[in-house]
Parts: sequence; C-alpha cells; structure tokens
Amino acid sequence: MKNLLLMALLLAAGAVRAATPPDSALAPPRAARPWYRPGHLALQTGGGLGMVAAGAGYEYSKGRLETDILLGYVPKRFASSTLSLASVKFLYSPFRLPVGEKLQVVPITVGAYFSYTHGTINDELKGQYSSDYYWFSTDTRYGPLLGSRLTLLAAPVAATGQPRKLSFYYELGSNDLYLASYLNNRNGGLGIGQLLTLALGLKADF
Amino acid sequence: MHFSSFLRGLGRAVTLLALLGLAGCELIEFSPNDHRVPEEFTNLTEKNLAKLQARPLAPGDTLRFVFTGDSQQFYDEAKDLVSSVNQLSGISFLVVAGDISDFGLAREMRWVDEKLRRLNVPYVTVVGNHDQVGNGRETYQHIFGALNYSFVYGDTKFTMVDTNGREYNFDGTAPDMPWLRPQLNHLDGARRQVVICHVPPTNDDFDPALRTPYVQALSEAPNLVFEMNGHNHSFAISQPYNDGVTYVNSDAFSERHYMVVTVWGDKQFRIKRVAF
Repeated sequence: MKNLLLMALLLAAGAVRAATPPDSALAPPRAARPWYRPGHLALQTGGGLGMVAAGAGYEYSKGRLETDILLGYVPKRFASSTLSLASVKFLYSPFRLPVGEKLQVVPITVGAYFSYTHGTINDELKGQYSSDYYWFSTDTRYGPLLGSRLTLLAAPVAATGQPRKLSFYYELGSNDLYLASYLNNRNGGLGIGQLLTLALGLKADF
Repeated sequence: MHFSSFLRGLGRAVTLLALLGLAGCELIEFSPNDHRVPEEFTNLTEKNLAKLQARPLAPGDTLRFVFTGDSQQFYDEAKDLVSSVNQLSGISFLVVAGDISDFGLAREMRWVDEKLRRLNVPYVTVVGNHDQVGNGRETYQHIFGALNYSFVYGDTKFTMVDTNGREYNFDGTAPDMPWLRPQLNHLDGARRQVVICHVPPTNDDFDPALRTPYVQALSEAPNLVFEMNGHNHSFAISQPYNDGVTYVNSDAFSERHYMVVTVWGDKQFRIKRVAF
C-alpha cells in the first residue's frame, strides 16, 4: 500500500515535471552563447521607472532569479522636464505553474529595484546645500516589488533548443520616500494603498 | 502553426494588459516626479480662494484665521490638526507657510490636500524650500498654483511670496523684488496687509543679497500688520530688525501647535497659540 502511494506520488511528480517546460530535459548548449548575452528583453510602463522603460535581463537558477537592466523615459509634459532613468531590478520567482501546454503562471515574483533619474530641474548643484541639508537623494530611488506573470510558450529558439517565452507581468512597488512617509506616521496618517505604484510589462526570451 | 497560436496568445494577453492598464491607471506612476493627478488635485490655490471669496466677511469685521506651516511628512499630525481646527468657530481660513511636502513630490502634496480638504474652512499655501526640490517647484505650481500671489479678504491684503533663495542658488530672483514692491505699495482696496513666506530673512537660506532690500521694503509697506513665515519649526514673534516690523514664525505640524490669528483696525493683532 505504502509502495503504491509512493509510486503514485512519483508518477504525479513526473507528470508535473513533464508538463513544465523542457528547459532541463532538453539541456540547452548554454555554452554556445557568450556569458554576457542577455536571456530576455523587457519593456514596461510605470513602476516609477519610466513611461516607457526597455532593457534586457539575465536569468539564473533555472529562471528563478533574474536581473533586469532598464532604461526609462518620461516626457516633459508628465514631469515638467524630460527624464531619463537607469534602473536595475533583482527578481526572485520561486514557482512556475504550468497551465496547459503553452501557458505558465508565475504566481509570485518578489524583488527590489534601484533607479537613477537624470534630468530633474532643481538638481543639487555643487555647494548649493551644506552636507545633510536634505537627508534624501532626489535622483536615486530604491524600493520593493511584488508581482506575477503569465508566460506563453512558443517554438524553441533554434540556437538553444529552449522554448521561446513571452511573459506579461505586473509589479506593485513603492519607493524609499513613500515608505519613509508611511513609517513616520504609525497612527494611520497614510494607508499602504497610498504608497503603491504599478508597473505593467512584457518580457521576451530571444 | 506554432506562430499563429503564439500570435493568438499575444492578442489575448494584450487585451488583458489593456484592461489592467485602465484599472490601474492612477497607480502607473512614470517617476516619483510624475505630477499627473486627478483634476480635483490641481489649481488648489485658485479653487480654495474661490471658496473663500464665496463666504465674504462683513466690512469692518474682525478677521480670524489659523496660521501654521511645515506639514512635510506629518500626516498623523495633519489629521489631528484638522479635527482640532474644525472645532473652532469664527475662523475664515487656514494658512500653511510652506514645506507642504518633504521631497517636492506630487503624491505628498496630494496626501496633504487629502487631509486639509477636510477642514471646514478653505486653506491657502505659500511654497517652501522642500516643495522646490527636484521638479517640486513645477509640481507645486501644477497642484497648488502660483509661487507669488496676493488676495484681499476681510479688509486685509495677503501677499504670498517665494523666499526660498537657496533653491535658486541665490540668483537674486527669490524673493522677486520687482513683483513684491508694487504689491506692498498697493493695498488693492484693503485697509491693512500681511506678507507670508516660508524662509524668513533672518535665515541662512534667504538670499543674502536680497535681505536688506526685502527688510527695507517691508519696513516701508503701509499698514503692514506683520510678516509671517515657517521654516524654523518653532513659534516666535519678534522684531529682529528693530524697525517696527513684527515677524511671526509658525510651528511645524510636528510641534502639534498652531496659531489663531486675529487682525482688526489699521494693524492691530492678537495671536493665540493652540495645542492639538
């Protein structure tokens, strides 16, 4: 009886593994690509990283860990000056749930970002303020991210044999200044919802 | 075959993305410097002055208003201040003497407005140095309005002036003396006048080249009740230049005090400090 149960579990596990993309089964010749070649391209809006932000990213640990590097743009009409943003995101997605043959859901992605904004108007000039006049930086932001994504699997990339993936993601985030404002008001002065930003984006393997 | 199903999936996902986009539009912030806010959070100065003018004071009546400053990041206190001020009667409006925000960001200005719009009376602001950090100066103008403006209410002309010289690298434009002088010389039909700014001339953040001209212009202004400012986060009433001009410094929201200011006659006043 015990053995039967164990066998059933093993079978089930096997079935799950079979349904997940064959990125381990069809062991891709990773070495065929130079180490610096990004694994995916990304395009997003919002999240405090640009009206449009585009970039590339790397995956490690079977895609559970990612680093994305984005360049963002905000037109003058939305921020009073044209802003360019350089951002880096570190993301961890512990699970992937297969939904049919061509679809995966990544229910949770947690992460953090750093961003640097170029182009603000009253940017600190040398000697404008004494040190620590303002305790915060106007240009450097960082904050947490929490999101999910939906991945479509398509025909494998010829060079690697890996399935081509196109993912749609959202990320709820905040930044150090909003969080500081929240933490300095512990009697309900601000609600968590008031701190949130949303990013919507696309990621494509190539 | 694969490609067409890929495209179909893409189409479906794009639709989903568009729907999500509509729902979360307000959350999709392009940058913390992104100043897009719903229309109800723009041009607040103009809107609040219109509310004020809709409740005129009878000619010759004593004018009473609440004076405070530096709401920056003090949201718990803002909530309590509003409850306290709403218990007062005979108040015409409330003034925040600058530093509405801490980081010059639109969200902060909106958060403060979300508290202060619950007052039973309108409120007006003058721009502070923190409101000018980064793209804050432009954000302040989008959300509140002019950096320099004046209005007449209850026989009193109020002149609100940007004195945050350090934020302009002391380039000689703040305070804008060519704008300020005629404002001080013409009472626009009022009996007396009050000047309100953020950085007082006694402070290191006031443009040193404009200190003397500013102080001089105030000392010559007809029926000036007093000059009011914020920035120091502490209550003070003094005549630092011994020229007959009284300077009133507000508490910050964090100090949990505001002032109830009463003015009458040519330049009579009484100030009561209230804890909340």
